[in-house]
Amino acid sequence: MFTETLTGRKKQRHERVARMFFGLMTAAMVIPLLLIVGFVVFKGAPAMTWEFFSTNPRRGGTAGGIWPALVGTLYLILVSLCISAPIGVLAAVYLNEYAKENWFTRIVNLAVVNLAGVPSIVHGLFGLGAFVYALHFGKSILAAALTLAIMTLPVIIASTKEALASVPRSFREACWNVGASRWQTIWRIVLPNSISGILTGVILQVSRTAGETAPVMLTGVATFKAIEGGGLFLYDLREQCMALSMHLFYVRTQASGAPEELSYAIAATLLGVVLLVNTTAICFRVFLRARKKW
Amino acid sequence: MNVSIRSKNLRGAVLGLVPVLLATGCGNSGGGPSGDSSADTIANIGSDTMLQLAMAWSEAFKLAEPGVNVEVNGGGSGVGIAGLINGSVDLANSSRAFEEKEAADLRAKQGKEPLGVTVGFDALSIYVHKDNPLQELTLEQLAGIYSRDGAIRTWSDLGVKAIPGAQGDEIIAISRQNNSGTHHYFKEAVVGKKGVLRPDCVNQNGSADVVNLVATTPNAIGYSGMGYRTDAVRILKVAKRAGEAAILPSIASTLDKSYPIARPMFVYTAGEPAAHIKKYIDWILSEPGQSLLAENGYVPLPKQ
Repeated sequence: MFTETLTGRKKQRHERVARMFFGLMTAAMVIPLLLIVGFVVFKGAPAMTWEFFSTNPRRGGTAGGIWPALVGTLYLILVSLCISAPIGVLAAVYLNEYAKENWFTRIVNLAVVNLAGVPSIVHGLFGLGAFVYALHFGKSILAAALTLAIMTLPVIIASTKEALASVPRSFREACWNVGASRWQTIWRIVLPNSISGILTGVILQVSRTAGETAPVMLTGVATFKAIEGGGLFLYDLREQCMALSMHLFYVRTQASGAPEELSYAIAATLLGVVLLVNTTAICFRVFLRARKKW
Repeated sequence: MNVSIRSKNLRGAVLGLVPVLLATGCGNSGGGPSGDSSADTIANIGSDTMLQLAMAWSEAFKLAEPGVNVEVNGGGSGVGIAGLINGSVDLANSSRAFEEKEAADLRAKQGKEPLGVTVGFDALSIYVHKDNPLQELTLEQLAGIYSRDGAIRTWSDLGVKAIPGAQGDEIIAISRQNNSGTHHYFKEAVVGKKGVLRPDCVNQNGSADVVNLVATTPNAIGYSGMGYRTDAVRILKVAKRAGEAAILPSIASTLDKSYPIARPMFVYTAGEPAAHIKKYIDWILSEPGQSLLAENGYVPLPKQ
């Protein structure tokens, strides 16, 4: 039979304190998130009508809707993702599966890590110099999407490498031992087993793309652009577009006489776009994870 | 066995992505029919003061002339002029005149002369909180508040006893960031060319920002365009010097030049404008374009 000792009680007390402390920290992270989302949605709800989503801004952005900005944001996300996802994933495959451990690989890895830490406004200046001026794209969706792609590349490479590294080495060894080439191993074993992690990493970058203002402001987003009619195909890739983040910035700081709920409604829409994409990522993850075999 | 099934699914997924990539690729290179009209895009950048006006123009012009896209951006008069100099801007909005040095830069870089058109006027208004009892100021008093060597630092220096809700007596002077044309003009008109603004001004990045801050700060004073007035702030009358009548900014008092701190607003092109830009400028100067000035709180050009 166990009798409770002094040290035993002390241990239990510590256990309780630790548990409470860590629980509180978790709550401290969740509560502000809920507060922010709740506050923004609550304040913006009166302005969020069908007309708000589907029409063009009017009267200098103080009335009307956000359709061109919403479409512009989707353009930027899609085009930048089409550039950064293939390059990022393929580069990560090379770095993780093919590259030998030498000074070159080490430099590349170091560059990737450091690039991920570069502030977005610096990426914006780079995009302005490289794409807008040097390559003569002008301020355009293309230049903005390329800038965003470069900004998200290092993170996509890092998360993809992580996903590839999580496939146990024994899987690869087993495959090699039955005579498979490196490419066969990657295609049939490594990629299928890491695709959920790769996709999650890629899609999570979308939220960052959607929210960025500084880099796109310099490279391809106009504060206002008159659009005729509606529809999805509002922009040519060589023109500038509007974007939700920039529109929010404008309405909040420059537009005089814009109702307060307008800026909150735009913020809520931006949050909605991000949440929608992230939910897709989570569903992907759950779906693919369920088929993982270890 | 499992492995082969999975890899088949993966292949399906990748193959499914290919058309998507191709489609975007085509959209990219082909550009479509709308690509041909991209020659009729006008990059219109510059003054924050004129931003809302420029947006209203762009919006209305689209209805009048659907083939021309006007892309509007703010940032400040300096940003528009800098863009004109390095060739990224077709039409620069400016709430101040081109400076000689900037004109020289434009000549050196592009071999073109800046070509400016006055499109209207902005009556720079002095804003205080709605509970502030002060009614009028002279230009000298304004200089005393805003210049580095000025003597007016508290509201009691102006004879204002107490402002309801204000903490302390200190005047919080709100100004604009230094690439703003409004900042340039205010400094020259009030503090003088050689004068220096007080270093502890609270700088705001937008015209509406200034008014919003005044609205929430009872002991603040700020300057911004006449069109940015809200119910939470009041506009002061301004007199040229002590003893003269103080005038409220309005269309009439701007046009007869009795209001002392009103300035012209310009649009600039580098050299002769292309046909579609010329059309846009002409439209701005015509009745539909000018009517938008009064609607947005600016002063239209006098009718001939």
